[in-house]
Amino acid sequence: MEEAKVLFKILGLEVTGHITTMWAIMFFLFVVLVLATRKLDKVPGRFQCLVEYTFEALLNFFAGILGRERARRYFPILATLFLFILISNWSGVLPMAGHVEGFRPPTSTLSVTAGLGIVAFIVTQIAGFREKGVGYLKHFIQPFPVMLPLNLIEELVRPLSLSLRLYGNIFGEEMVVAVLLSLAPYFAPIPMQLLGLLFGFIQALVFTTLTAIYISQATAEAH
Amino acid sequence: MHLNFSTIIWAIINFLVILAILYKFAYNPVMKFLDNRSQEIANNIAEAERNRSESEALLKEYKEKIAQASNEAQEIIARANKVAEEERNRILAQTREEAAALLERARQEIQRERDEALFALRQEVSTLAVMAAEKILSRNINTEDNQRIVEDFLNEVGEIH
Repeated sequence: MEEAKVLFKILGLEVTGHITTMWAIMFFLFVVLVLATRKLDKVPGRFQCLVEYTFEALLNFFAGILGRERARRYFPILATLFLFILISNWSGVLPMAGHVEGFRPPTSTLSVTAGLGIVAFIVTQIAGFREKGVGYLKHFIQPFPVMLPLNLIEELVRPLSLSLRLYGNIFGEEMVVAVLLSLAPYFAPIPMQLLGLLFGFIQALVFTTLTAIYISQATAEAH
Repeated sequence: MHLNFSTIIWAIINFLVILAILYKFAYNPVMKFLDNRSQEIANNIAEAERNRSESEALLKEYKEKIAQASNEAQEIIARANKVAEEERNRILAQTREEAAALLERARQEIQRERDEALFALRQEVSTLAVMAAEKILSRNINTEDNQRIVEDFLNEVGEIH
């Protein structure tokens, strides 16, 4: 897979195929979610039941990690992370993905996953300060002040591991599909692509779950 | 594999943008909607519970009232029966008395009439007897005449009767 070309620049920031795909995914998410939540009836129909069920299922999943109150507070961030990563991962299964300039699965480049990792990191720090104030800084010197460097490294490694894990899985999966396609065209990659759907879901879930766990740790009452 | 600084920045910006959009158009409305509905359902249940206990209290009250009214009605009927019985007895007694008085008066009247009639008859008979005697005595009478006079007399008497 060749390096992504720079398509154009906005305000000095280079725009690659990953970013244009990201915009498309954003638009897709916007349309789907707005359509899904546009007309909410007190007595839900079939479609609304599905939407509500999905919503509640995600909320309950996060509530299992964060508790109901904090899950509600951080639900928008976690749900967006999940949905965005999920659709990005799955976009790699679409035909021509990675072979057309302007259509590259965003999560198959480390730059995008690093951006998401940084978001997760910043959200975690903000959550910590928001829930515990300056007292949040105390956890860096616990249980002993000597642990400060280790604690800092642990904190900084988290976004790195998040980004690398997501990027590695998706990029690897795509590489395997590409290789299979070059070895035996048309049908050989199909099982791998089906697995790719599963991996895409799992990786989205892993990224989001870990972020939720980090937020949970940052906002936890005194250890 | 190399990191593109622009792409990292774009990824962060994009994420924040889609987060803001979805928050405004999807999460917030859905969350509010679900919360409102939960609240409404809770309110409805509480209200239903309140209504139920209220109606139970009302039912109990009405049952008591009905029982009380029934008792009162029984009492009123009993009293009315008693009054009616008394009235009946009174009227019956009075009527009997009146009937007896009426009968007595009628009897007296009959007696009086009978006496009067008897008296009048007696007077008439005696007058007739005197008249007959006068007639017999005022003439020279033979047997034949005698016979005739008696017959006349008897005829007269018969006419009177």
